[in-house]
Amino acid sequence: MTSTETRADRFVRELAELKIPDPAAGRAALWLRLGVALMAAGLVLGASAYFMSHGTRDPLVQRDALALALGGVSAAVVGSALFLRYSLTGFLRFWMARQSYDLTQLADRLLERDIRHELNGNDTASR
Amino acid sequence: MNPLLELREIRAAYDGITALHGVDLRVGAGQVVALLGPNGAGKTTTLRVAAGVHPAESGRLLLGGRDLTGADPRDLARAGVCLIPEGRGVFPNLSVRDNLLMMTFTGRSREQVEEVAFARFPILAKRATQTAGTLSGGEQQMLALARGLATDPAVLLLDELSMGLAPLIVAELYEQVAEIARQGVAVLVVEQFAAAVLDIADHAAVMVRGRIERHGRPDDGLRTELSALYLGSST
Repeated sequence: MTSTETRADRFVRELAELKIPDPAAGRAALWLRLGVALMAAGLVLGASAYFMSHGTRDPLVQRDALALALGGVSAAVVGSALFLRYSLTGFLRFWMARQSYDLTQLADRLLERDIRHELNGNDTASR
Repeated sequence: MNPLLELREIRAAYDGITALHGVDLRVGAGQVVALLGPNGAGKTTTLRVAAGVHPAESGRLLLGGRDLTGADPRDLARAGVCLIPEGRGVFPNLSVRDNLLMMTFTGRSREQVEEVAFARFPILAKRATQTAGTLSGGEQQMLALARGLATDPAVLLLDELSMGLAPLIVAELYEQVAEIARQGVAVLVVEQFAAAVLDIADHAAVMVRGRIERHGRPDDGLRTELSALYLGSST
């Protein structure tokens, strides 16, 4: 940074240097949906693997079913993690906003009560 | 030179209901632009889009000439875009000092943050240990501004600074805003009550039902038109 650089110049420079990913609007929702889809796919894969292995005596097919089931379990685990990550983020963000709003309301109420109390006290004193 | 903040043909919606119908706005370094209009005109949504908090359905958000449409608001905040929301956005249960401490996320030390805040608003130094929720409305707004300034913003977005405050306090706060702009910060102010902000604004835009109906220098013509808008006349 040079000493003659204004805040505006620095802003433009920093923006140019900033590694901003591609527009991410709606990406969280996409990951959330992917998580749900993977969870569902995992369950379907697990169930199909179960029926696949029960419908045959061929150990090779049963091993395929085993691999399929493991894939299903992995998909369900990854899906659950994605779902939890993106649903929890939304929930916590909302919870924090709610908390902040409640506290503001509470502070306003307390302040109002104090002022009213003070005014009542003054009224009584003046009588 | 490119404006520091530029909105081009921005459209935005809430659950399919369009709030902005192609908004164009430019704010240069050191400029104060007032975005005025009645309740529900889309002023706050415009600020939220400018801060990256609300996604635009179409149109472009340019900062320092770079297209940052859809960028993460955290990236924009780190770069120097600061939104001070309506309702001040201070933590009412924390002390003034702790509220300022929260701004050290920008990488500045507590001392640096306090130095900026207390130099601009000396009253906050006297109230340093007081809980923010027990400050007067004006002092809370000063704290909100001080928190914003602590991030060393290049673009400052202010939402309804005057809300619930006495005219004298509002005038004092806007004088500080003008001073901040003089240091090269681009300031976009959203206001429902125009009088105070028009005194310091370089440019004003009047927004009605999600559209900018008029913009220009805050002269008598604009003030008359604003009065007409608020009173429901069609002039």
